[in-house]
Amino acid sequence: MSQSELTMSTGHEVLMEPSPYGIEKKKLGMWFFIVADACTFATFLFGYGYMRVGSQNWGTPFEFGTILNGIVMTFVLLSSSLTMLAAVRTTQAGEKASANKWLGLTMLLGTVFAILHLREWFKMIREGWGLFSNPTGGTTQFGACFFSITGLHLTHVISGVIALLIITRGYNQGRYNTSHVETAGLYWHFVDLVWMFVFPLMYLMNAR
Amino acid sequence: MHDMSAHAAAHHAPPSGFIRKYLFSVDHKVIGIQYTTLSLVAAFIGMALSWVMRIHLGWPAASIPFLSTLSPNGAPGGVPTPEYYLSLMTMHGTIMAFFVLTAAPMAGYGNFMLPIQVGAADMAFPRLNMASFWVTFVGFVVASATFIIPDGPPISGWTAYAPLSAVGPAAGPGQGRGQDLWVLSIAFFCVASLLGSLNFIVTTIDLRTKGMTLSRLPLSTWAWFINAWVSLLAFAVLLPTGLLLLLDRVGGTSFFIPGGLVVNDKVLQHSGGSPLLFQHLFWFFGHPEVYIIILPAFGIVAHVMPTFTRKPLVGGWKVITYAMIAIGSLSFIVWGHHMFVSGMSPNMAMVFSVPTLIITIPSVIAVLVFAFSLYGANIRFTTPMLFCLGFISLFISGGIGGFFLAQPAVDSYLHATSFVVGHFHFTMGLSAIFATFAGFYYWFPKMWGRMMNETLGKVHFWLSFVLVYCVFMTMHLMGLTGAVRRYSSYVADFMVPQIPTNRFITVAALLLGAVQFIFLYNAIWSRFKGPKAPDNPWQATTLEWDTTSPPPFDNFDGRQITVRHGPMEYDADASVMQTSPEQSIAGT
Amino acid sequence: MSSNREPGMGSYVGIVIGLMIIVGIEVVLTYQHLPVRTLLFSLLCLASVEAFVGVMYLMHVRYESPLLFWTVFPATLFVLVLLNYVWPDAYRMARMSLGK
Repeated sequence: MSQSELTMSTGHEVLMEPSPYGIEKKKLGMWFFIVADACTFATFLFGYGYMRVGSQNWGTPFEFGTILNGIVMTFVLLSSSLTMLAAVRTTQAGEKASANKWLGLTMLLGTVFAILHLREWFKMIREGWGLFSNPTGGTTQFGACFFSITGLHLTHVISGVIALLIITRGYNQGRYNTSHVETAGLYWHFVDLVWMFVFPLMYLMNAR
Repeated sequence: MHDMSAHAAAHHAPPSGFIRKYLFSVDHKVIGIQYTTLSLVAAFIGMALSWVMRIHLGWPAASIPFLSTLSPNGAPGGVPTPEYYLSLMTMHGTIMAFFVLTAAPMAGYGNFMLPIQVGAADMAFPRLNMASFWVTFVGFVVASATFIIPDGPPISGWTAYAPLSAVGPAAGPGQGRGQDLWVLSIAFFCVASLLGSLNFIVTTIDLRTKGMTLSRLPLSTWAWFINAWVSLLAFAVLLPTGLLLLLDRVGGTSFFIPGGLVVNDKVLQHSGGSPLLFQHLFWFFGHPEVYIIILPAFGIVAHVMPTFTRKPLVGGWKVITYAMIAIGSLSFIVWGHHMFVSGMSPNMAMVFSVPTLIITIPSVIAVLVFAFSLYGANIRFTTPMLFCLGFISLFISGGIGGFFLAQPAVDSYLHATSFVVGHFHFTMGLSAIFATFAGFYYWFPKMWGRMMNETLGKVHFWLSFVLVYCVFMTMHLMGLTGAVRRYSSYVADFMVPQIPTNRFITVAALLLGAVQFIFLYNAIWSRFKGPKAPDNPWQATTLEWDTTSPPPFDNFDGRQITVRHGPMEYDADASVMQTSPEQSIAGT
Repeated sequence: MSSNREPGMGSYVGIVIGLMIIVGIEVVLTYQHLPVRTLLFSLLCLASVEAFVGVMYLMHVRYESPLLFWTVFPATLFVLVLLNYVWPDAYRMARMSLGK
């Protein structure tokens, strides 16, 4: 267990049972949050599957341009996972300047993802897509599922970028340490992993 | 020998000032009391709602005081309209199920006792804990606000089935803002529960003091821990369900709204959705929810009973714990038994019916362990013990009804009758509440440092015990004759003969409500004027009794707590505290 | 608490490139005019592989205590498996809207 997660203490050591997981409680807590969040995303995705199976005129409206944009977004997010790993590494090694660089890159890539995503959203909305409108004349469930699922994921990405901002600031001010960065890293990788399912199910399955 | 990790405890300095001490406190004890107080207030509000419902059922033309002031539209002249009756029913269920039964035994007592029982100074994430309470509080305020908005609370039941709950104001009074606020309230509750579950799980795993191995955990801690897992997974599915419902309501989507619906002579624009999907997603949460309600009750009874039988439970800690793990896991695979008559695939009915019958096995084992543990015991008939005995009786009575409801053929007749209402009130409303009372009387000395009045407690128990049977066993009989639930008045031919029975239930219910004021008076008076409580008034064994009443800020005054015994060791009539020095104990 | 058996950054780069290749395979498969069921099954399998690799390596579970894997994975999988109970009603909805 990391000694670095002291807050204020009364000054003396207290003997406890060792943690069976061997990781400190912040990370353990984040893991259980991830389990719950995974179930939340799964519920949305199963709802989408249900709607799709149950509707008559689903259609596959995505042109290659949309798919290409999706591929770029996927590569951006995967790269951000790599930079996040580098950030954790350099934090563990105590290389503050390097860590800042990698954290900054991760946030930048996350922001790029969000911008690409929003660009695509606005393009679709201009074409007539919405939560209950489908310009191709197909089922309106398409827009409902697409915008709600990608919207939930986008919210997680943006929250992640904000969280990383807060962690980076705290790390530089000495309030936060390696374990905080590692915990944030876990969340960031989780958001990437959710995209591993959203992209094939929401984009590729709807490719023309 | 495992290697002991020594670390400075994650202490925070004692807070100063009223706000940090009693209002926005990160101390788990204060948070536990806050949750318990919230539940008490919610319980009396929920009970008052049931009084109004019961009076109306017994005397449909009766004018109920203050009701026309609360809602001139819903109760003109003090007589609730059929729609307002549904509003009352909806909020009764919502407030009781969420803000009383899910909050008190788990968040209330669990928050106060779990860190102490594992020997920690606080929960793993104290600030998150504080946030959980205040989010719950906001949820409660939002739910209560539905009473004072012009259109009133929603009418769709605590189950909020689509499409009624999804189509908006056209569906009826309260289905506009009221339903929106309801969904928001539940969403807040979900988030608070999720964060609370995290805290419980990590605290139990990571913050146990030296010697507190999993085999020495008190059974109430085991129950809270297992329950936190069930809670984590179940609420994780309720939250998106609520979000999808909200999208249907305000976003124009049709996840749960089928096409061609005609409401108030207008064809709705929605199409393509499935009301059945809502039921699947809701009950995926909804069934584990009722076990989230009962598991802490099992834990409380398993914890309190040995103290007053002066011997361990039959089978030790393992049988009850494995039974609770089995119940928690199986609770996820039975949800379709709420949907036998919903139009879901009939094949699925068998898929859900069989596990529903199987889940009775660990439940019965647990209750039998409690019952058989009385054999050969030197029972001390204190108020907490009486409530535990009451729990055993009530859970068996309610559980037997479950056997009938578990079978699709029988449920086709009994679904949506008073039989179901009797069944779930027995298992949830009565058993869990009696266990909660047991916990309240048991832990009151520890939480407030004073003893409650035993005589008043016994009067409270006996009157409540007799009256709950009058109210809810009678409902089973009414259900068998076909009395439909959620109806505000009995005008159909076959239901008219039920009216005298209805009145009997109403009178019993009002008396039952009055009796609860004995408890309230006892609690409030004892809080300020009761005799001071010693550290261990019940001669119990677990760590919470190894410290002062109430405990100091960091629970153990900085002492090193080393555990050497399990939670249910007794030597002749004396209890063996968990921290007692090693000695050979016969019969453990 | 990082294990000493962790790979270097180079291995992580390799892993992420591997994940990108899997994404590429998914895209290629999409344009092969496969039947919908086959495509869905293949994409889900590939996505699961990606997620597994991500959890084990990116999220470090490979180098943590096995107890963490056996706690987190079965719990999540449990819920994912159970949600599949909705399919019979989804297919009934499809048949009903065809007037069957």
